[in-house]
Amino acid sequence: MALPNQQTVDYPSFKLVIVGDGGTGKTTFVKRHLTGEFEKKYEPTIGVEVHPLDFFTNCGKIRFYCWDTAGQEKFGGLRDGYYIHGQCAIIMFDVTARLTYKNVPTWHRDLCRVCENIPIVLCGNKVDVKNRQVKAKQVTFHRKKNLQYYEISAKSNYNFEKPFLYLARKLAGDANLHFVESPALAPPEVHIDLAAQQQHEAELAAAASQPLPDDDDDAFE
Amino acid sequence: MASKQPDHEHREDEDAPAAEDEDTGAQVVPIVKLEEVAVSTGEENEDPILDLKSKLYRFDKDGSQWKERGAGTVKLLKHKETGKVRLVMRQSKTLKICANHLVLPSMTVQEHAGNDKSCLWHASDFADGELKDELFCIRFASVEHCKTFMEMFQEVAESQKPKEENKDASAAAGLLEKLSVEEKKTEDKAGEEKPAAAKEENETKKDEEKADTEKKDGESDSST
Repeated sequence: MALPNQQTVDYPSFKLVIVGDGGTGKTTFVKRHLTGEFEKKYEPTIGVEVHPLDFFTNCGKIRFYCWDTAGQEKFGGLRDGYYIHGQCAIIMFDVTARLTYKNVPTWHRDLCRVCENIPIVLCGNKVDVKNRQVKAKQVTFHRKKNLQYYEISAKSNYNFEKPFLYLARKLAGDANLHFVESPALAPPEVHIDLAAQQQHEAELAAAASQPLPDDDDDAFE
Repeated sequence: MASKQPDHEHREDEDAPAAEDEDTGAQVVPIVKLEEVAVSTGEENEDPILDLKSKLYRFDKDGSQWKERGAGTVKLLKHKETGKVRLVMRQSKTLKICANHLVLPSMTVQEHAGNDKSCLWHASDFADGELKDELFCIRFASVEHCKTFMEMFQEVAESQKPKEENKDASAAAGLLEKLSVEEKKTEDKAGEEKPAAAKEENETKKDEEKADTEKKDGESDSST
């Protein structure tokens, strides 16, 4: 479900509604998938932001239109328009903030009022943080309501692909669907003149002294 | 819906992966029918001459800061016929492309001033299917890996310098190469050169397993 001003694509696309309390990491999670960056700054989403997110699978390319909604609006509730024609959903909470888990049933109820029988993933975000308030064992809502649950970390990328993979498998009814390497097209020839080259070198010299955002983390090989 | 709790790991660990792949979701009716398609990595005509785990950053000129681009495997791929070398990096798990550009003689790679496991360079990147000027920085797990990468990168850049005397000849050869690349591409679509892709898949799996083990290790640390 693309927005009217959004280009449609010739491969399968799905409207994915992402809900949950403010500050649980919905926007950061989507951004992580879109650009790779991890945004530490918190700027509450106003209303909704829709981002197309493509994945390559053994069954071809697919797209999720991610409706990244404002968690802060829970007091007024989201307007039905955000949920309508939703084909799948993610409900997010923050394992370091108990209240965000307590509010999950409300988000679930609101969602299910409009979207019946769609695949839903419950995500407990920020599992990289040492002092959790909601332990894995305390998360039981998904069992009562038949949701899929994943512990994730938008910061460390732990399980960050799982919600999309799960939803894609359910939407296609194919438990063996998996992500594949997207084709790396041959980059076109470029010619760099001396002036441009010098400019690049000046830029490099300046950038070389800027610190990397997560210098301390060596959690990869 | 069998509730297979991980009883074997009865510890205080709060993050115990609650049977990761257990599906507790409701049965839903699929809304699309997808057929398996032939998959191409686009790398079938190239040999990897370097393959290292790393984290890639791009420089945000507006904010004057480095931003993460992805974590995964960086490769230098040498084309079997043209000898051209490109850098391709994919995000682990989603296998999406974070960087894709030729290594050209005009390029230089330099160390990051504050991190000796990192180095940076400029490139016209084609990761999104359109050329974009980017400053990249890459961070490795060790100083040695970074050194290996820098040496290889610089060596490749040098080797791509055209010989002055036969400039015309090499230009013509370039055209011929392009033609043969086009032909090769169509052949690939027919599903040849599977071994390379299969190997890649294995490696990805290994990486995934490794990542999972790491997670568990990390958890046992935090539970003590």
